[in-house]
Amino acid sequence: MKKILFALMLSFSMAAVAQTSVAPTMSKLPALDQSPMDMAYFPVDYPLQKIKDKPMEPLVARVVYSRPQKGGRSIFGELVEYNKVWRLGANEATELEFFKDVKIGGKKVPKGRYTLYALPDSTQWTLIINKDTDIWGAFKYDEKKDIVRITLPVQKMKEVVDPFTMAFEKTTSGANLIAAWDDERVVLPIIVY
Amino acid sequence: MYLKYGPLFSLLLSFTLLLTFCTDNKKQVTSVLPTNDSEIVKKGATNPYLPIDLSPADIIYFPVDYPVAKMSGKTAALPFARVIYSRPHKQGRKIFGGLLKYGEPWRLGANEATEIEFFKPVTIQNKKIGAGRYMMYCIPGPEFWTIAFNTNIYSWGLTIDQSKDLFRFKTTVQPSALPIEYFTMVFEKTGSGADLIMAWDDVVSKLPISF
Repeated sequence: MKKILFALMLSFSMAAVAQTSVAPTMSKLPALDQSPMDMAYFPVDYPLQKIKDKPMEPLVARVVYSRPQKGGRSIFGELVEYNKVWRLGANEATELEFFKDVKIGGKKVPKGRYTLYALPDSTQWTLIINKDTDIWGAFKYDEKKDIVRITLPVQKMKEVVDPFTMAFEKTTSGANLIAAWDDERVVLPIIVY
Repeated sequence: MYLKYGPLFSLLLSFTLLLTFCTDNKKQVTSVLPTNDSEIVKKGATNPYLPIDLSPADIIYFPVDYPVAKMSGKTAALPFARVIYSRPHKQGRKIFGGLLKYGEPWRLGANEATEIEFFKPVTIQNKKIGAGRYMMYCIPGPEFWTIAFNTNIYSWGLTIDQSKDLFRFKTTVQPSALPIEYFTMVFEKTGSGADLIMAWDDVVSKLPISF
């Protein structure tokens, strides 16, 4: 019995030691985002190509965006309201950067860093390239800082994409930037000089 | 019989109790840490199109929460700095001196190499660093880390070419009071600028930057 008592006391004291050794002092460190960030490059997988010793095409574009998840919700027309400017992701507004001049919607877009917004509707979205960067959400969207607006048809997909996804794909004249979520996607053609 | 197994029994009991306490203990730590980690990320949910990275990327600014300040009209000036990095999980592994070998370059994150951008010139350890983007990596050691700024930006974080280093700094390693599950970088305001805090597992290191 004494031994049990001793063991009890021992475990209590050890637990107490363990308790103090993890005293919380760094509670302010950020948690993992609910809608984690990701980036996509064009040429596709440019960072991987760059560490292989083989000739490669020059860097054209990068998008840095956050990936909210459908999580059983109805997205377009509900969570993302029609005809309201959407940050095209979550958290910080989506950043689209061009490393060389490109052409979008018939307009020249000089190389540089931009914010990409969307104005979704049931059959078409307007994508907006705006020069106000490093900003949270679409709450302070300023139309006066638009570089170009382009209206694109919504394509319905057979399979549902749970996390909002952006990706580049190569085309004959440059690249497409695809934005897909739920059962919808739009394709933004980018002409690379 | 009792005498024979008595010590064993009490040992088992104490282990059970200890385990119970450790579990409780863990709960307490979790309640102190931020609790909004994504369940979907934790479960590693996949997506036929492009799954969410196991080590998702994140972005930090200095001033801290600059995009929110800009949104709410509290600032119109440029930020000082930002970092884009990925956040691997500890997942029960020993990180420093285990998963990451001492003396070998580490991308200071996961996936793409970590990127630091200064929007105006800064000073670090008496070295003037121009505005611009740098690839950033670490050579961990038990007491000191080497933090290097390198020209090979927009690259995947493996096979780091040390001949492209522009600057190297030495930072001290401090023990972390709390186990840190996700690799974390964050700016913290100081009198002369900011500390770039780099924390994972049981270790914290700081790179002081003067703006």
